[in-house]
Amino acid sequence: MNATLNALRYIAPKLAQFLFVVLATYTVVFLLVTFLPGDPLLAAIASKSGGDTVVDPETLERMREQYGLAGTPWEQYWHRLGMLAQGDLGISIATGQPVATMIARALPNSVEIAAIALVIAIIIAVVFTFLAFLAPTRWLRNLLLQIPPFGVAIPAFLTGLLLISFFSFTLGWLPSSGSRQPGSAILPAITLALPVGAILFQVFSAAVLEAQASQHVFTAVAKGVPPRRIFTAHLLRNALLPTITVLGLTIGYLAAGTAVVETVFSRDGIGRMTVNAVLARDVNVIQGIVLMVAAVYATVNLIVDLAYGVIDPRTRRSGRSAARGTQPETSQKEASA
Amino acid sequence: MNTPVRHASTRWIAAFGAAALGAGLLAGCTPATTDGGETSDELYIAVQDDPVCLDPQQVTLTTALNISRQLVDSLVDQDPETGEIVPWLADAFVASDTLKEFTFTLRDGVTFSDGSELTPETVKANFDALAALGSTAPLASQYLAGYQATEVVDESTVKVTFAEPNAQFLQGASTITLGMLSDETAALTAEERCLAPVGSGAFVLDEYTANDAVVLSAREGYGWGSSLRASSGDAAIKSITFAITPEPGVRTGGLQTGEFDMIFDLPAIDEQRFSTGDYEIYARANPGIPTSLVPNTERPIVSDPVVRQAMILATDRTEIAELTGSSMVQPVAGVLSSATPSFLDQADALTFDLDAAEQLLDDAGWKVGAEGTREKDGTPLTVSVTAFYGQDVLEATQVQLAKAGIDLKINMVTAGDFFGAVASKDFDFLSAGLTRTDPDALRVMLSPASEAHWAVIDDAELEAQLTAQAATADPVERTAILAEAQQRIVEQAYLVPLLEVAQVHASQKGVSGVAFDSSSRVNLYDVTVQR
Repeated sequence: MNATLNALRYIAPKLAQFLFVVLATYTVVFLLVTFLPGDPLLAAIASKSGGDTVVDPETLERMREQYGLAGTPWEQYWHRLGMLAQGDLGISIATGQPVATMIARALPNSVEIAAIALVIAIIIAVVFTFLAFLAPTRWLRNLLLQIPPFGVAIPAFLTGLLLISFFSFTLGWLPSSGSRQPGSAILPAITLALPVGAILFQVFSAAVLEAQASQHVFTAVAKGVPPRRIFTAHLLRNALLPTITVLGLTIGYLAAGTAVVETVFSRDGIGRMTVNAVLARDVNVIQGIVLMVAAVYATVNLIVDLAYGVIDPRTRRSGRSAARGTQPETSQKEASA
Repeated sequence: MNTPVRHASTRWIAAFGAAALGAGLLAGCTPATTDGGETSDELYIAVQDDPVCLDPQQVTLTTALNISRQLVDSLVDQDPETGEIVPWLADAFVASDTLKEFTFTLRDGVTFSDGSELTPETVKANFDALAALGSTAPLASQYLAGYQATEVVDESTVKVTFAEPNAQFLQGASTITLGMLSDETAALTAEERCLAPVGSGAFVLDEYTANDAVVLSAREGYGWGSSLRASSGDAAIKSITFAITPEPGVRTGGLQTGEFDMIFDLPAIDEQRFSTGDYEIYARANPGIPTSLVPNTERPIVSDPVVRQAMILATDRTEIAELTGSSMVQPVAGVLSSATPSFLDQADALTFDLDAAEQLLDDAGWKVGAEGTREKDGTPLTVSVTAFYGQDVLEATQVQLAKAGIDLKINMVTAGDFFGAVASKDFDFLSAGLTRTDPDALRVMLSPASEAHWAVIDDAELEAQLTAQAATADPVERTAILAEAQQRIVEQAYLVPLLEVAQVHASQKGVSGVAFDSSSRVNLYDVTVQR
């Protein structure tokens, strides 16, 4: 009984926070799309009809009703919030399809490349850090530490085109576009993984190298523990905490990154849908996507919060506030070379 | 001391090697693309846009029209060279002298891909449904302007009636937009039709995955192509995949490596690259009104015909075409595109003549001011143009007009704001073109009586000509009226033509039989593929 109450006490504020994030996101997006200059309805039908757009006032008024764009902004705000509460994301003005259907269609494609990208990014971060950790000379280590930041420095747009021109057009190993052929997720995932992997690497390697300088590692080295064992047993766990925090933030980056990657690689997905919706000022779709991403983001961060307790037993006692940003078992003492 | 270092570096090299090997394996495990035999019955085409909707009667996007052309047949067809209307689903057709009644005699044995037959009732269901859709099908509602009813005369004859003369209807009946759908499809809602239109065309929709691909397969037992088609019976290719590939570099790269047999919308910059013997380039100007400056003559400076005439003289259309257009089509030479029936070549009147432009403006009292821009009574000769595409065309124009002392301010906006400006008449000039197969495009664009008009013009003489052409059945007589109207438009500078827009596609050498229809959309029925 007591345990249930404790769990509830732990989860309830987090749930409230989750709802607050979603509501705040809805409000901000609503304000943005409503008070941008121009008529969203005209923009959406113009993107569909081009030169044949009808500007007849009566037709426009009828369509405004149909897409929930009629009335004052205040009325619209509550009307759409009411729809949202019932799980109704509305209808896309540009395509005429329900927004929920469109998201359900595009989401798996984006999740696929984002998941592969995340795995590749983690591999990049761990492998480069491990190599840097083992590097026999200082200059080699420094060189290795300088390579991954390139991933952030080069725009995904360029990386994507370079990968296509090399792996698809020159070598013919992988398809250049679409999601029709097998292996088509690989190049987009790599493109997306480079910047994400670079960010993860920065945090992870810094944490590992810092932990390496601590007393318990010094002791382990002195005892003659092999380097690989030191890495896995003494460094990895300590370096995980800040890395997991960044991993949570990375979800937002992945969601944004898919916009570029899916356009370059001609894949259907949330990112490309967002770009199209913004270009068409398709307010219902924009709102639906942003809310969905906000919900995913809030969920992932909730999981990250919970993960602290698993990784670092001390945070279970002291609560999550103590864990964030604090480095366990660090030492100012320089490790001897 | 040496030993641990060497030990560490060996370990390091091993680890690095393992990582590199892993990367190699990851790359190596994917299948390589294979090259097939000689004749292929599959056609892969990369297209720029997601069609969003595949209902030929609703869509206006070029890509969507190009795809849905393969799914539907029209009552009649139009020869893109001569403009002549020939039978297709209708064996015979008659327009009444008043152009208010059109009678079609349907071909026997035509079926839709769901097995249902083409009957006069089907034609009626199609047109009635379109009339009910109204502005949801913007193109169709213009072809069907003044639609009254469709009457089933007998088991193979159908009569379409209009309240007003409709000279463009017969031509409209040849377009993709008035392509015939099955009774069942015609009864669906606008949204439902988009995803699964059933037509009688040589191809059937297999699969449409938004933002990814549209896959069509050849219809078995097809036997009612129009007389303009080279082959008969089933299409030679068994499947067409339209890969939706917005990135132009990926389309051209894919064409180069053979991943695609054909690509739509070849960028002008790549035309040179594909002008070798290994590729075929297809180009045809869009019929209708070329990209032009469209005036609002209620605005103070724009209302002065001298200014507009000087603008025509001061723009160098040849240079604009060289800088921004496809090398495959000629510079614009009239207020209709050269691909439009009844096009009047006015290249002489549209010749670049900076001196004449300056003379005109000098005579009208527009004197060159301090910073090169002309002035009259303290008012600078500054006009603005509102557009949502073709910024490069306008920038070229801006530089040219500046030489004559005309200051053109470019106002690039979103499509929505563009039509907002059209609705509120809040513009000096618009810049846009209007793709229509029929010269009636002039009436649509310029006549205040047209629902879709953009220009703001008050000219009784032109209005009379535009109304008369829409009610004239005799082609020769109609062309004569249209010639007068086109001359009037250039004389009064109701349009400042800038650039003829073209459809430019490219394919591998082995692809043959790609045909443009009169609206410069692509018909793939005759296509064969050699790889």
